[in-house]
Parts: sequence; C-alpha cells; structure tokens
Amino acid sequence: MENRVTRRNFLRSSGAGIVAAGLGASGAGARAAPAAEYRRGGMVYRRLGQTDLYVSLLSFGSHTDPADRRPGGPNRTVLSEEGQARRDRIILRAMDYGVNLLDVYETEGQWEPTARLLKGRRDKMLVSLAHEISARDIDNACRLFGHVDLYRFHTADIDSQALHNWDVLRKAREAGKIRAIGIATHIERTMTVALDELEGIDYLFFPYNFIHARADYSQFLPAAISRNVGLIAMKPLASGSIMKLDPRARAGMKPEFEDLQLWQRRNKPILPAAVAELTRSLDRMPDETLCMAAMRFVFSRPFLSTAITGMFHETLLEDNYKALTRYREMRPEEHAALSAASRLARLCGDAWLPPHYRWLEEEWRA
Amino acid sequence: MARLVTILVALLAVPAGFAQQQQQDEQFKKAGVCARCHVISVVEWGMSRHSHVATDCLACHGKSEGHVIDERNNVKPERIPHGAAVAALCAGCHSEGCPKTKQKTGCETCHHVHALVNPNQPPAVRNEALEKRTVQWERYTRQMAAGEQAMKARQWQAARAALLSALKESPGDRRANELLRACERRISGRVPGFDNAGGAFDDATGLPREVRVSGIGIPMVLASGGDVDLGSDRFANARPVHTVSVKPFYLGKYEVTQAEWTALMGSNPSLPKGDRLPVNQISWEDAQAFIKKLNEKVPGAGFRLPTEAEWEFAARAGAVAGASLSDVACFDQTGAAAGPQPVGSRKPNQLGIYDLQGNVWEWTSSLAKPYPFDASDGRESPDAAGLRILRGGGYADSADLLDPAMRHAERPNRAFRWNGLRLARSVPD
Repeated sequence: MENRVTRRNFLRSSGAGIVAAGLGASGAGARAAPAAEYRRGGMVYRRLGQTDLYVSLLSFGSHTDPADRRPGGPNRTVLSEEGQARRDRIILRAMDYGVNLLDVYETEGQWEPTARLLKGRRDKMLVSLAHEISARDIDNACRLFGHVDLYRFHTADIDSQALHNWDVLRKAREAGKIRAIGIATHIERTMTVALDELEGIDYLFFPYNFIHARADYSQFLPAAISRNVGLIAMKPLASGSIMKLDPRARAGMKPEFEDLQLWQRRNKPILPAAVAELTRSLDRMPDETLCMAAMRFVFSRPFLSTAITGMFHETLLEDNYKALTRYREMRPEEHAALSAASRLARLCGDAWLPPHYRWLEEEWRA
Repeated sequence: MARLVTILVALLAVPAGFAQQQQQDEQFKKAGVCARCHVISVVEWGMSRHSHVATDCLACHGKSEGHVIDERNNVKPERIPHGAAVAALCAGCHSEGCPKTKQKTGCETCHHVHALVNPNQPPAVRNEALEKRTVQWERYTRQMAAGEQAMKARQWQAARAALLSALKESPGDRRANELLRACERRISGRVPGFDNAGGAFDDATGLPREVRVSGIGIPMVLASGGDVDLGSDRFANARPVHTVSVKPFYLGKYEVTQAEWTALMGSNPSLPKGDRLPVNQISWEDAQAFIKKLNEKVPGAGFRLPTEAEWEFAARAGAVAGASLSDVACFDQTGAAAGPQPVGSRKPNQLGIYDLQGNVWEWTSSLAKPYPFDASDGRESPDAAGLRILRGGGYADSADLLDPAMRHAERPNRAFRWNGLRLARSVPD
C-alpha cells in the first residue's frame, strides 16, 4: 500500500520508460500422467479416481460377523471379545497380503478397536468410514485415526439433506481432515444425479457382481469414467449369498454353512437341471470355487478401483487373495460356471438372497 | 605484434581492475549498514573526498536505527538536511566557507547534498534536464513533507494547499492524490449514501470510521486497507501464502440480519427465525439480488459482497491478540451449537467487526480460482460461471474451519442453512 515516490523513480520518470522484458511462461512440458495401476507382491493397486490414493484391488469390508455381534447401545452393535480378536487377526493377515483399504462401521462398534489395531501401522492402511455426517463425528474420527482417507455417506436420493451432508464433507476435505469423499447408494439413478450435483465427488460405492451387473448398461458408468470418478464395487458376493449357489461350498466358509447345506438340499429337487449344469461347470475348474470365480469377474473389470467385501473367515480371505493373484483374462470354464450360477439364481427368484438384500435383484439384476 | 600489444594491455588492466575493486570494497566497509541499500549513494560518497576524512552517513543523518531495521522503508532517517541545514553541516569542517569561493551558504548548488560534484573535476557532460528535474524533486518533497505535517496537525486546508502544490510538480502522483483525497474527504466530512455513526475519522483516508447506511441503518466499519498475507500452508487450496494490497473499504459491522433481509426482500428463507439472527439459507444469487435491491434503494452507495482478499484482510487486521476464539466467534465447541446466534453476541474484533469468524459462513464476490489472488484475472466478474468462495466458518463447524485462511467453494445457486452474507462497499473517490 506504500505509494511513496523515491527520488530515483521520480528522476527516472522524466526519461524513457523502462521496458520490462516479459519472459513468456514457457510450458515446462506436459506432466506425466500418474500410473493408473501397479502391482506389488501379489496385490494390484489402482488409483482411486483423481485422488492421489492407490487402493488395493481387494479391500476389507466393514460388516462384522453376525454370529459374534452383541447389542452395544441404540442402533449399535459390538463384537464379542473372541469375535473382535478373530476380526483383528484377519485384518492383520489381509495387511500381510497387501490389502490397504479397510472399511469401518461405527454402528458395528469398530472405530475404536480398529484405531487401536492400526496404531503404529496407520501408514500401511487407508481407512474408509461411513457414518453420520457432522463436524463432531468427523473430528471424532480424526482424533481416533489421525485423518480419514475415505469418508462417505449412504443415500437413496440427492435431496437437500444429501446436499447438506456433502457440504460438510467438502469442508472437511478442504480442511485436510479427509482425503477423498464419496457416497454409497443402492439406486442407479441416484448415482447419475450424484455425478452432476455433488461437486468434487471422488468416488462412488455401488453394488456389482456377475449377477447384479446392471451397471454395465447404466448411464452413470460412462459418465463416471469420463469424469475420472473412482468406482468401488460393493456386494461382489451379493452379501455372501453367491456362496449359497455353490453346490460344493466348503465347510467353514461361513458360520451358517449348515443352513447352506439345508438350503441346497431343500432346493435341489426343484432345480435339478440347473444345479447339475452348475456342478458340471465347477467340475471343470477343480482348483476354484464359485466365489473365487465371482471375485475374479469383479477384479477383471478395468473401470473398478477396488472391490470391497466382508471377510469373516481366513479361508475366505485366502480364496479372495488367490482369485486376485490369478488375475488375468477370465477362462471360458469360469464364464460357463458363472452363467450357470446366474441361471440358477434366476430360477430361484430372489429366494437365495436374505430378505434385507432382495433389492439387489430388483435394482441391479443385469 | 598487435596481438602482443593487446595481451600486454590486458595484463596491465587486470591489476588496475583489482585496485579499483579493492578501493570500492573499502568504501562499502566504511559505509557499513547503509551500503546494503544505498549502493549508489555510497559509491558517490566514495568518489568525493569525504570518504577520506571519515565524514560518514551518520554524521549528517544520525544513527537512524529505526530506519535501518525497517525493511519496508516506512521509517525515515533521523535527519534529512535540506538547504541551510546542509550548509550548517558543511560549516562543521569548512568554517571559513567554501575553499574556492568563500561562500558560506548554498553549498549544494555546486556540490549537491552528498558532495557528488567535485568542483575540481566537473562532470564531463552536464545533464540540464536532470538538474531541472532534481530541483523539481526537491520542491515536490518539500511540499509533500509540508502536506503530511499539516495532516498530522489536522490542518486540513493547509495540507490540501501543500499537496496541490506537490501535484503541480509531479502531476498524477499516486501518493499525493491519495493524501489529497483524504484531506478533501476530511474537509467535507460526509460519505455519499451513509450517515456518520461515530464521529471518529481515520487519519490515513480521512473517512469516518463507522457509518450507517442512509435510510436503512445497517452499520458499517472502515477497514483502512493495506498489505495482507493471504493463504496458509495448512490448507491445500490456500497455498501459496502471498501478499496482496487491499484498498480501503467499508465492511458490515454485523452479518446481515433476518430483519434487514425481510425489510428489503419481503420474505425470509432462514431457519430458525429471529430478527437479530443472521439471515441464512441463502445462495450467492440470493445475496446478489439483495444487494441489487439495496443499491436501488440507496442510489450511488455501491454495495457489494467483499472480495475474499478484503474478507481475509478484515479477519487478519482485526485479530485480537491473545483472545480465545470462543470470545469472538460462535462455533461448535462442544457439539452443542444448535443454530446461529444473534449477531453481535460475541466480542468484536479490533476493527470493531462482529462475528467475522463463526455464526454463518459469509459469501464473497470471488470465484473459486487457485491462488495467488489476482482481482484482475476475472475472479471478481459477477457474470462469470463457477463456484464462489465462502469465508469465516459457521456455527456447526469446529475451530479449524474458522481459520481466516479457510476457503470454501460452493455453487452460486446453492443455499445452505449455515450460509449468510455481510455487506461491503468500496471507499468513494
């Protein structure tokens, strides 16, 4: 603001003006585009949209094992001591495999145990949270985790409440508390609207598996790809129900294994041809289960940054990891098995899904 | 042969060059700290005989410690002798007067103030235009000094006359024009569109410190302008930190209240309702509509939203040292802030502005473009498409979002319950 004239400038002003030689801002060459994908060990890492985050293609899901859940307050559950120890052990094992994205639900009482588990390991794991959207909750998460890597909220519609939530998330990202923000939704139209209405969206969570692959024909997928929005597949095993379609499902895969066997026995008589066809297809790939083929289908989709799945048992983690390390073109016998499983699922209507996941059939069946 | 002569000349020239360099180094050592800035003066002083008799800068200008430590050159040296004062200093050694002419006055006529011109070795070429300009410069500085002194003494008419004389010597001079405008404002004592609210005036600009919008009564406070460091390394979108000059402007003492909004617009979009609560749930476009109506009602007042540089200037210049944030801002300290608070519930900042941080986010006129801030790059265009910047944090936010550097960009048609506005207007010419 100092406009005082100096003697030198005053005298100079009588002479010829100084010609400032403007140096043209020469372009320093186009910046090299960051790699979209790299591999370390057996794990593949992909860039999450336009962010600087690279996420493992296999991510650890948020849901805890229903068999170990206990009531933990209003609308909240916690894990039993034994269940928590098992979950922690599987998470550490997943980290050894190179999994670097962990989804954590506070409604299932996991923020504090996970923060304790990640103490000293925080740089090796990206934390993804989904919770109520308020400055207090975000600050609470930051207190526990230092910062939050991914934060989202679940919404059925982009209404005024969703826009308010989005405003809070954007402010937290601008303040450096969150690195990437997004939404999860079960409704295809909501995703298309979200791309237009949610300013600066980093990623979308949406249901995707070989049966519920309507996204392949959706409007939002090309729009999201062209805007370089990260895409995260949830329900790659249709909340574990794809396992129910597998006539060879192994004991110990899920706690409700006995129920599965019961379901298979009960339904076999009415679906003999479809079950036989699936069994034949699976016989042609003896080293692979239906779930592994289902995961390989999701891993093979180039537009996905990661697939997030709940893993309640170490064998499931190992199967998913094996499916990933074989990451290459899908084989014809795998396609045949998936087609047979899809037909079997169609013949069952939506009975093969738990009642609270039947929306998958209505909204996302390809 | 010619080559040999050239080499010999070059070999002889090298020691001569060394000797000259050594002599200059010696001069700079003698000149001490003054040589850091006044390089030319020191070289000139070295050329004169004064350097040999140890008559240094301090002898005429004093120790000038304040001047030495002030990098922005706002503090003058202790003494800047002119006219007879120069002759008096010369007489300290030359008590008999000029060794050549025996004159005891007007030494600078031949020798200039730093004894640049040695009468025994007159300059080869006389630059008459430069000499004329030098005389003009001295008249200009005298008038400016007289003007500034008169302003300090609050003799506005005398200051005006001196500054007009200075402008005759240097037409279009920015500093002289600014001071002249300040004098004239102070003489008239009125700002169009405003009623003077407090009676106190700002000496630098000659404007009343606090005013009220005529006929409406919205109080506004003067921010006298200056340099402000915008940005912070804490936030990715506020980098790099850079200095911007802000002109004097008026800023609303409070956020626009729901009563003020309703009186002008006829409806109130806010939640919760309350006359003294800040208007909220308004978009940038709504804020522009309000300002348009206000400008229609108060012709020539030129109300607008503050630029983000102005907003940050007011927040930084007005920061109360040592005050806790909760004294001056309404925000979500304990997770208990259920909504906005009546304007002025907390303490004002040093400029006398309330709720600049907290309560509701305040729309600015600026487009969300990356720093550095440059008002001329189209970011202040009201018709340009793009996100607009909000500042200040709101009642639902935690303390870190109330940082003066925090920038939040929002679509101009989006209205949220924590977004409001504060009026600004430029200082009239």
